[in-house]
Amino acid sequence: MRRLALAGLLLVAVLAVAGGLLAPHDPLHQDPDLALHAPTWAHPFGTDYLGRDVLSRLVAGTGATVVAAIESVGVGLLLGVAPGLASLWLGRGVEWVLLRAVDALMTLPFIVFAVAVTGILGNGLTQAMLAIGVLFAPLFFRVTRAAGLALTRAQYVEAAELFGASRARVLRTHVWGKVLPTVAVTAAQATGGALLAVSSLTFLGIGVQPPAPTWGGVLASDLGFLAQQPWAPIIPAALIALTVAALNTLADDRGALRAAR
Amino acid sequence: MNNIAALSRRSFLALGAATLLAACGDGTAGPGAVGGTGGTLKWGWALTTSWDPVTSSAGWDVHVLSLVYAGLTKLDQQGNAVPALASGWKYNADGTEVTFTLRPGLTFSDGSPLDAAAVKKSLERGRDLPKSLVAAQLVNVKEVVAPDGGTVVIRLGVADFQIPNLLAGKTGMIVNPAAHADPGALALKPAGAGPFTLTSYTQNAKAVLVKNPSYWDAANIKLQNFEAYPLPEAATVVAALQSGQYDVAQIPGSQVEAAKAAGLQVQVIPSLVVAVLDVNITKKPFDDPKVAEALHYAVDRAALLKTASFGHGEVAYQPFPKGYAGYDQALDGIYAYNPDKAKALLAESSYKGAPVDVVITTSAAAGVPEQLQSQLQAAGFRPTIEVIPQAQATQLVYVQHSKALFVDQFAGRDSAVQAFQVLFGKEGLMNPGRVQPPELAEALAKVSSTPLDDPKYPTVLQAATAVAVRSMPNVFLYTVPRILARRPNVSAIPEFTVVQRFEGVTVS
Amino acid sequence: MTALLQRPPAPARARPAPPGRARRRRHGWLGAVATPVVVFLFSSLLTFSLGALSPSNPAAAVLGETATPADIARMNHEFGLDRPFLVQYADWLGGALTGDLGRSYFTTIPVADSIFAALPVDLALAGLAILLAVLLGGAAGIAAALRRGSRLDRAVTVVASALGTLPPFAIGIGLVVVFSVLLKLLPAGGYIGPQHGLLPWLRFAILPALALSLDIAASIARQLRTSLVAQLGENYVTGAVVRGLGARRVLFGHALRNAVGPALTVLGVAVPTVLGGAVVTEKIFNLPGLAQLALQASAQHDVPLIQGTLLVAVTVVLLCNTLVNLALSRVTPQGRRP
Repeated sequence: MRRLALAGLLLVAVLAVAGGLLAPHDPLHQDPDLALHAPTWAHPFGTDYLGRDVLSRLVAGTGATVVAAIESVGVGLLLGVAPGLASLWLGRGVEWVLLRAVDALMTLPFIVFAVAVTGILGNGLTQAMLAIGVLFAPLFFRVTRAAGLALTRAQYVEAAELFGASRARVLRTHVWGKVLPTVAVTAAQATGGALLAVSSLTFLGIGVQPPAPTWGGVLASDLGFLAQQPWAPIIPAALIALTVAALNTLADDRGALRAAR
Repeated sequence: MNNIAALSRRSFLALGAATLLAACGDGTAGPGAVGGTGGTLKWGWALTTSWDPVTSSAGWDVHVLSLVYAGLTKLDQQGNAVPALASGWKYNADGTEVTFTLRPGLTFSDGSPLDAAAVKKSLERGRDLPKSLVAAQLVNVKEVVAPDGGTVVIRLGVADFQIPNLLAGKTGMIVNPAAHADPGALALKPAGAGPFTLTSYTQNAKAVLVKNPSYWDAANIKLQNFEAYPLPEAATVVAALQSGQYDVAQIPGSQVEAAKAAGLQVQVIPSLVVAVLDVNITKKPFDDPKVAEALHYAVDRAALLKTASFGHGEVAYQPFPKGYAGYDQALDGIYAYNPDKAKALLAESSYKGAPVDVVITTSAAAGVPEQLQSQLQAAGFRPTIEVIPQAQATQLVYVQHSKALFVDQFAGRDSAVQAFQVLFGKEGLMNPGRVQPPELAEALAKVSSTPLDDPKYPTVLQAATAVAVRSMPNVFLYTVPRILARRPNVSAIPEFTVVQRFEGVTVS
Repeated sequence: MTALLQRPPAPARARPAPPGRARRRRHGWLGAVATPVVVFLFSSLLTFSLGALSPSNPAAAVLGETATPADIARMNHEFGLDRPFLVQYADWLGGALTGDLGRSYFTTIPVADSIFAALPVDLALAGLAILLAVLLGGAAGIAAALRRGSRLDRAVTVVASALGTLPPFAIGIGLVVVFSVLLKLLPAGGYIGPQHGLLPWLRFAILPALALSLDIAASIARQLRTSLVAQLGENYVTGAVVRGLGARRVLFGHALRNAVGPALTVLGVAVPTVLGGAVVTEKIFNLPGLAQLALQASAQHDVPLIQGTLLVAVTVVLLCNTLVNLALSRVTPQGRRP
């Protein structure tokens, strides 16, 4: 299972980097006469409502999709990990404020918040992913904090502090190495969640701007033409589902955790 | 500039177009249809942004509002003004004063009398209320006088023979003066004299209406109950009709075949709605007349129509559809698709054949704007798409005029002069360049001062259309028909080009 | 999907409660009430600041076609937008606490009216969804734990994992296709409230509630299976069985009671999950709920309506979390420890 998941993610990574070069056709080339065509040898996944090759759009759209997901996870890491550690070492006042802030963020429903943010800051993928990223922050905050908490009680950390090692040094040498694997596993899980969030938002018409191809965008546009091509959404949906499944497999896998250590 | 914010993105891009009466449905609609009385009609289309016609902000609202409000006049299926609350009207010779005679014994749905004083108050409110969104159309109304209970005299600043048409729309809906005091309450609870009365309303969800027995034309209203719902998702609309969730619903062109296959009746009703590109000739690159001209030829309207609505509709080169008084036959094909000519024009322009950068602004990029981008690219432009929310479009395009090219829809207007003002007037919303050639102003003045029953009227109007299409930068694309699918137990829906009404419709 | 995002760390990786929590317990009731209040203040400030960040000028958006700079200034004054930020916030929060969330820029309809027309839909739906999730997830989790390693166990694991990987609207549309289009059993959308009769309501509510619940059911099943398997291996269970207690009594009286904690935590995050998932579900099933309102407000940049829906969503979540925390402290033995 783990190998399969890794192989799948590797493929996705290759597509994300090389995407445009590997696409059999120009993902933006329109051929209205071929619109909504069933699969053929030339177009194995058929064509969309403007006669564009769906396979090429999915391949070329991998980059934007993956980058968007990583973007939001990045925001979550940025806003979650450092405060998570800070809450352990910067005293009770900071801890109290951070905990309440995290509690507050956790009361915000994901998609509602993303919709509200795009409604106010403008309808773009960056705004949407920023919103999702902000809501990821509590996840990373708690995971980091929980991992760090165990360490503050570990004897070797206490010993290091007793020996007068600076806080920064303790953090760098001891804590970081122990917290990182947990954070990495959480990030894998969150990336899967972000992929699903992007696809939900594009379904609602938020975030992705045509004609740029993305997985969620292809899926959303397919849903408008169920009468013509009822099978079409299955392809991008399967692509998203398999990628998320691969990320989850990796995140749940204890072997991966050990390997990461 | 109909506000389509209420419609979903995909439903919007698929909204249909066409006058293919013969091809779709039975086309036997008409108010003459006879049937039993009673029954409940469940209508899936769009709910109103407000139940106050003066502050309602979407073009679509007029359809729902006309269920509960009546005006002095209404439009027949051809778009001519005919008597409604008023039994008739008379203009003075120079067209600066029009006198309406009210039907006797009219009442609002709450039973209070609908007399000339009420009409006067209602029209003045539309003109004077600070938040009014119809005020611009009433600026020419200098004075409304009620000499007796049954007579309303409207005095105009300049001659305008189109007042009866204008008053058939949202602008002329008569609001009960008793409700004027609290506009917040009016937004949720209408106070009119229309064919139905609202009994319960859940915002974004459902409006339940019951027949108003005191409506002046109650004899022609066969439905006892009416329920209005928001527009369903394109992906599920046919299923929703099949399962009886709606009796009638507006569907996108992409769903026509599926609806017919499901045993539903489909009517493609020609409307005055036309897709158009708003072009600002004070912005780059259209400040170069050659570039603005090239744009006309760079657009493959037939291909756009196919994407927009699966071909339901017709390509358009002018703001009026075939069969309308202002439609000028000679304009057909005037800017037929010719990418080579567009390229040649760009070569003659100050850009000298170098790729011309242009930003296509739209509120929903999927579909037509994407395709437009590809077409313009093929004609020598270097186009990019910019998406702005519909709510900001009003501000950026119509108020600040900061966009060079906006993919828009013109919802049509009850009066032709009003339509010209919006599209081509110096202050017109859809004329972001704010430029109007003098010959067009002249042609328009002539239209306003020609009585509608004057035999010369169509010629005068068509002349104005011809001047406008040749001299203005707006690029008309295709007509957008109203495609209604209905369950077999509903009789045919009358095919009104402007406001959809339901006279004679029955449900068995 | 969102259940996945907000899923607490797996029980196997669970850490001792952070000291903040322990301190709060010592403060007792005061803490239990004060903390949500502070969190509410944080959330409301966040919600309100979001509106203040808006680059679009609401006055211009409302006035639209006829706006002049003087009109815009007058309208800004009417909306109170020319006052300092904190004054606006205090005013808004004060109004919100007394049930006044301002008026929509576009329709002038009071925001509170719109929200309280929409909220019952979400509450009824969320209730049904969570009930379904508990029944489905609970049954699947218990069954899988009791027959550990069996085909059933594997099936539960696979289905539960798969549900977490599907885009949420795929589930909704799949349900419509199967139950409305193919089987013609249930309506494809629309809604009537439970006050019109329980059965008619269920006809409309069951599909969207199911769409919302599957994700949470999967989480519950997984959590329950893991912790129940752990409990069933404990000495006291073996002891109880040896003492001759019935299998049912051991399961429901002891093991389940000890194992239910992590699953209850899932329920704690289920409310934001349901409210978040509701955006997509309401769109598919055409439901007149809060999320639909938020979506419409967002499309129109109707800032008071956006702020109002967000604040009410936050309040509902906060209330439910507090209730779940209280329940948690009563049901599970760990929670009852001082």
